[in-house]
Amino acid sequence: MIRLEKDGFKNFIEELIAEYAVFAPVMKDGKHMFGNISSVEDIDSSRLNTEMSPKEIFFPHSEVLFEYDEDGIRVADGEKKPIAVWGMRGCDARSLRMLDKVFGGDGERPDNIKFEDPYWERRYGDSLIFSVACNEPLSTCFCNWFDSGPHDSAGADIFVVDIGDAFLMDAVSGKGEEFLKGLSGSGKASEKDKKKAAVIAEEAVSLLGKKTDLGELNDKLKGLFHKPIWDSVSAKCVNCGACSFTCSTCHCFDIQDESRKGRGKRVRIWDACMFPIFTKEASGHNPRSLSKERVRQRVMHKYSYFVDNHGEFLCTGCGRCISVCPVNLDIREVIREVLAS
Amino acid sequence: MNDWQPKILAILCTWCSYAGADLAGVSRIQYPPNIRVVKVPCSGRVDPLFIMKSLQSGYDGILVSGCHPGDCHYMSGNFVARRRFAVLKPLLEFIGIEPDRVQFSWVSAGEGERFAQVVTKVTEDVKKLGPAKRLVKQV
Amino acid sequence: MNIQQELRDAARKLLAEGGVDQIIGWSSGSLPMSSTPLFAATKEEADDLIFDATCGSNLTVYFTKDRRQIARDGKKSGVVVKGCDARSIVLNLKENQIKRDDVVIIGVPCDGIIDRSKVEDKTGGREVLEFSDNGKNISVKGRGFDIDIPRTEVLSDSCISCVHPDAGMSDIFIGEPRGEQKTKDQYLSVEQFEELSAEERWERTKQEYSKCIRCYACRNVCPSCYCNECFVDQNDPQWIGKTLDLSDTIIFHVIRNLHVAGRCVECGSCERACPMDIRLLLLNRKVAKEVAERFGMETGVDPDAKPAMSDFREGEKQDFIMG
Ligand code: SF4
Ligand code: SF4
Ligand code: SF4
Ligand code: SF4
Repeated sequence: MIRLEKDGFKNFIEELIAEYAVFAPVMKDGKHMFGNISSVEDIDSSRLNTEMSPKEIFFPHSEVLFEYDEDGIRVADGEKKPIAVWGMRGCDARSLRMLDKVFGGDGERPDNIKFEDPYWERRYGDSLIFSVACNEPLSTCFCNWFDSGPHDSAGADIFVVDIGDAFLMDAVSGKGEEFLKGLSGSGKASEKDKKKAAVIAEEAVSLLGKKTDLGELNDKLKGLFHKPIWDSVSAKCVNCGACSFTCSTCHCFDIQDESRKGRGKRVRIWDACMFPIFTKEASGHNPRSLSKERVRQRVMHKYSYFVDNHGEFLCTGCGRCISVCPVNLDIREVIREVLAS
Repeated sequence: MNDWQPKILAILCTWCSYAGADLAGVSRIQYPPNIRVVKVPCSGRVDPLFIMKSLQSGYDGILVSGCHPGDCHYMSGNFVARRRFAVLKPLLEFIGIEPDRVQFSWVSAGEGERFAQVVTKVTEDVKKLGPAKRLVKQV
Repeated sequence: MNIQQELRDAARKLLAEGGVDQIIGWSSGSLPMSSTPLFAATKEEADDLIFDATCGSNLTVYFTKDRRQIARDGKKSGVVVKGCDARSIVLNLKENQIKRDDVVIIGVPCDGIIDRSKVEDKTGGREVLEFSDNGKNISVKGRGFDIDIPRTEVLSDSCISCVHPDAGMSDIFIGEPRGEQKTKDQYLSVEQFEELSAEERWERTKQEYSKCIRCYACRNVCPSCYCNECFVDQNDPQWIGKTLDLSDTIIFHVIRNLHVAGRCVECGSCERACPMDIRLLLLNRKVAKEVAERFGMETGVDPDAKPAMSDFREGEKQDFIMG
């Protein structure tokens, strides 16, 4: 474990920027989100969770896959430098691992088909993720439901704890280890530092709400598909895309061509199962024409189908959907209602 | 820039303004060749979306023209359209679109001369503004 | 007796003897400073009803769109409405979205709704864990802060210059009506924006709308936006693109504003729903101002008036038509 004095942070970020395209939490037009930074001053850590999740760094809202005209097809170049993300939260680091099961080449798939999305891979593949532990979780955080916690290092390459006057950094992956080896201006963390980190971690855990056991959730959901529970669960939902678009794990997309005479581009655009057009068929028939069917889909995908396909819930407990929902449809209450039914 | 010619979309109702344009033509009245005409059954058929879409696809100006109030072939089409435009036009100005980009007129089937004047005026106005940029979508 | 108790009693009574199947109102939300829609079908559930400065959502939305299976289709619903929400009811009655016999309107007087994003600005983004409101100030507490803020600084834009705080149309009115508010500044924000140069207005428009992520929360919470298929969802032909291209986004918002021209009640639900805190109401207000000045109309105030855009007068001002 390494100790980096806060005095040395500016230097550290500058060195990082020299080698990587660095993303970190920034304040942009009053919204807290991840942005490409050019200096340490750009970083804004005033809020715990960014309002938009960092998935947009690797899987942007609108992405041009290729452009075409009479001369042929061109695939846009990727970033010149590999991506490094400073200030990711543990939940978000884990969300990238989940998305990697879908877009990355190494994901376990029930059908054993290996598919690698090149646009995802060229960003996430050689990225360096710094998870910064959450010392003061929010009331919307429920990562503990997923056997994780505010000081969980899973999903990170380097796990960072802010102990006040310094950052403690620990390599989690081989990539992380490599990086820390070459890091200048840092020393070894002392026993005292480690103890301090442990105290902070304990306090952080104590701030979280009560954990709900999700052991039965998938089995429960399997029996509920045709049950009336969805009427009450979905009643207040207005089927916007606010939850899906801010969610760190939702990853559905649409692909469209935007063309003018003689040229055009193919774009991949975020989509959401909450929108009626998401499932509308060419005939005009919509198999999920009702609000409750769409809410059911969102819940099922996260807490049942994804578990069957990839062995874990498609939710990290980041709580963004809870704070953003215009009608306060709290996914924790939905889960509790399902478990209680 | 001097030889730049604006592209202007003219959306004309078939009963009055289109017939007015026709009359201008058969009477050999000269007017700038910058307009591309789309014929609609009535100015009431003009959805603001048509106007926005035209701005987006790069028209430098839009002219919508219908029958004079009281002369609508369908009695009230242009009255309803007028309310729509009465809100659309200030709203476009409000968000920062140049006022002269989108213009409205009433031209009857007998007003070939007037049609030519309207087109001349709109063309000159748009030439002064230069090429449209603000809502144009780059593909 | 406070208004909350009165509201619960009225709801209980309607459920017991009024032939009403459910009361649509608000209950406390799962977060501090939040409320959530409640569909109370029993007397016990009616005891969860609240009304305070967090009850922002315009519940009329549950009578429209595909949400209509909740409030319509043979059900009789009581619905709790503020001044703006009542105007939505009036509009939807006029537009045949609600049958008068299917709804019992429970009016409440409104002191204005708190805009969470404005409170967050005041706390510097720190999470609010406790919230109270004494009618003049709100106080918010969280880890390491405890502050009082004058209500006027955190009220929704929609409420700052609200003229009709009481439900204008109601079957039951709970509490003391506040009466029509005389405000000179009804369109102040619009007038200030109009003062700017075209250049500047365009820059501001761009800056504001480039934040939009096209989640459609604004449209979906709006009780006036109930088309079975919204123009942005049409794909044959597809009118506008779905990417974050700024011209597509602005066209979406301009056309939505025109679709709710003369139909928007300025409830501010859209603005509060927006996850990107886009100041959406400015355009709505501009349209409302034009509608008021040109056609002398305010949405949902006169139950007998036709919605502005489906009506006309022959001699109307047409200053924008080329002479
Ligand atoms: S749960 Fe909330 S945020 Fe998600 S679609 Fe429904 S109303 Fe929108
Ligand atoms: S479903 Fe909600 S809590 Fe779970 S990952 Fe998505 S936004 Fe976060
Ligand atoms: S547009 Fe916004 S303010 Fe107007 S009625 Fe709809 S939700 Fe309310
Ligand atoms: S709610 Fe906000 S972000 Fe979502 S579509 Fe509307 S304006 Fe855009």
